[in-house]
Amino acid sequence: MSTGQGTVAGSPLAALRTMRRARRRRYVERLDVMEVLYRVYVAAIFAAIALGVLAGAINEAPASATAVEWLRGHGPALLGIAVAVGVLAGLRTGAHGGPLAIEAAEVQYVLLAPLPRSAALRPAAVRQLRTSALAGAVIGAVIGNFVFRRLPGSPVEWIACLALFGALVPVCVLGAALLASGRRWRPLPAGIGGLLLVAWSAADAAFGWTSSPATMLGELATLPVQSGIDAALAAAGVAIALALAGLGLLGVGGILLEAARRRAALAAELRFSASVQDLRTVVLLRRQLASERSRRRPWLRLPPARPGGHPVWRRGWQSFLRWPPARIARVALLGVAAGALAVGAWSAAPLALLLPGLLLFVAGLDLVEPLAQESDHPTRRQLLPVASGGLIRRHLAAPAAATAVVVLLATATATAISRDPVALGIGLLACVPVALALACSAAFSATADPYAYVLSPELGAAVSAAPLVAASVVVGVPLLFAWAAHRHGGSVLSAAAGGAAFVALVVAAAVPFLARQFDNRDAVSE
Amino acid sequence: MSATPVLRAHGLGRKYDGYIALGSFAVEIAAGELVALVGPNGAGKTTFLTLAAGLLDPSSGGVEIEGHAAGSIEARRALSYLPDAPVFYEDLSIGEHLEYLAALHGVEDAEPRIESLLDRLGLGEWRDGLAGELSHGMRQKASIALALVRPFSILLADEPLDGLDPPSREAVFELLAEARAEGAALIVSTHRPDVLAAASRCVAIHEGRLAYDGAPDEAAVAGFFDHPEEGSAA
Repeated sequence: MSTGQGTVAGSPLAALRTMRRARRRRYVERLDVMEVLYRVYVAAIFAAIALGVLAGAINEAPASATAVEWLRGHGPALLGIAVAVGVLAGLRTGAHGGPLAIEAAEVQYVLLAPLPRSAALRPAAVRQLRTSALAGAVIGAVIGNFVFRRLPGSPVEWIACLALFGALVPVCVLGAALLASGRRWRPLPAGIGGLLLVAWSAADAAFGWTSSPATMLGELATLPVQSGIDAALAAAGVAIALALAGLGLLGVGGILLEAARRRAALAAELRFSASVQDLRTVVLLRRQLASERSRRRPWLRLPPARPGGHPVWRRGWQSFLRWPPARIARVALLGVAAGALAVGAWSAAPLALLLPGLLLFVAGLDLVEPLAQESDHPTRRQLLPVASGGLIRRHLAAPAAATAVVVLLATATATAISRDPVALGIGLLACVPVALALACSAAFSATADPYAYVLSPELGAAVSAAPLVAASVVVGVPLLFAWAAHRHGGSVLSAAAGGAAFVALVVAAAVPFLARQFDNRDAVSE
Repeated sequence: MSATPVLRAHGLGRKYDGYIALGSFAVEIAAGELVALVGPNGAGKTTFLTLAAGLLDPSSGGVEIEGHAAGSIEARRALSYLPDAPVFYEDLSIGEHLEYLAALHGVEDAEPRIESLLDRLGLGEWRDGLAGELSHGMRQKASIALALVRPFSILLADEPLDGLDPPSREAVFELLAEARAEGAALIVSTHRPDVLAAASRCVAIHEGRLAYDGAPDEAAVAGFFDHPEEGSAA
């Protein structure tokens, strides 16, 4: 077909392919090559700096024989649990119509045309698999580049195995999502299937087995320290991962058009919100994409409010008590992951102690929901007979309390993994100030005006990133203080208490600042 | 009623989280009929049309298009769906949309039809225009052209005349009459009395149920436009 010329011939599938080629060509023609090259150049510089910093931060001393033995025995199963959690997430996404986000016009015109839907959708699915696998392979290769310095095995072995593992993890996750959406699995059975895989992998970890397909894939990631039968198990894991993706691609045409239309509309909004760094809208749209709605019936009904009680505190908990199971699981998982990451960073790369804060910040974006709702509806807030600043200050209490629970979960995880009571001590000392600081960071992010810096996007990006950096620092500081004391033979708990005191000072400055922002906004609108 | 209806809905139902948008809906539409689908907002008209187009899956019952399940390749070949909100590719001109859609439906030489539709709908000058450059009414007319550029046995149109000026409405009525004369069945969801006047039959939906099915007698169905309790149910 010659687009724009008015004459068309051939089969519908040929027309589809020709138009897609023409659209791609047109897209490429419209790209500003210099702009693309500049972006690649900047990204390469930042990547090189990050790799350099990471290489300097990572302890390169060879791992002890005990550590290698532990990795050989427990590594595949623990990685298998992570893969299984990814597959669970993929199955849930698929049950809600993902992972493909098709243009609304594509749904209306192509998926309603008399041609096989699988043929129309497969190229997009393959593209998504290819891109994710490539990104995963690069990340895996980078990790392999650091791992071989500490563990037995050649650089080529580690880089190749981890690159392949990194490529296959997204293939598994996307394959599971494509399978669930193409076969139209309902969220409940899809979730149960994913949970069974997680439980199977957890059983492998508990009993030292290699029976779950996810654990088999985990064998691949540690193959240079494994031997004999483990190579065959890893090969089986690779075959299962590829089979999952193949099955997903085969059934891709079975997608529910209703879900495809909904995702088409939301994905377009999501792209726009991300482009203006409107993180709050991104969170709300992502919840809609996952069909994540508050429960009609709360998990627990609070007793009737007493006169002179604390309505804002009560409102916060009413919100949490309506959370859907998926959100509870996500936040709990982020807490567990933050604890596990802190333990890994403590022994391998202390600079990575700044990373648990990023995970807890993501949890905080959910935990700050009652306050964010107040910010979303300024007119309703301004009609209340109280100053907005004071109201927002009171709104911080419930999210901070809920965040403290998540921080305690991270502490419990770290203590369980490290089997060191010092981890519990650090967590308990830092819990309250860190929870308050995380709630403040999330509140700043959720209530920021995304259009305030629309004319200076660089400044807007910096302002958007500030709460994330702050969360990373407030969680990382007590941990880094404690690590430094541990390294120099000082008192770990005293150092952690010092770090917690620093965080408390940050909170003391941040809360009035946040409150004043709201008072200023109200003053402008009056 | 013809022995082989173009559209047959039987026990058709659709629920959303416990809310019944359409319940036990049954209707048969024969070739050459122009059916005005009426009912107050939220009655279930759009739900019925999207179910018949295969964009929604029913909670119960089913829809057949020329004897094939809604959404199947055969049904998609026979059915043209005009949504209430026009949908376009942002990077294609109106002309390219029409060429593309005709090609997707296997039309080998669509140019005369495209020219005719653009001309009659007053879109001739906009052939090379992008959808984003068009006004609401122009977008609606382009969407109508897209629904009519391909061959079909049945057209489902969801409030197609909204936002159109009188000459455009007249052009659309003429195009619909031609399609009907060629044997196509047309179901037009509407709140407009002029569509009712042009129709050969009226189907009214109220609270997800079939409330009226008969002659397009304005007095009989007037209540289903705004005040359903005033209508006389079949």
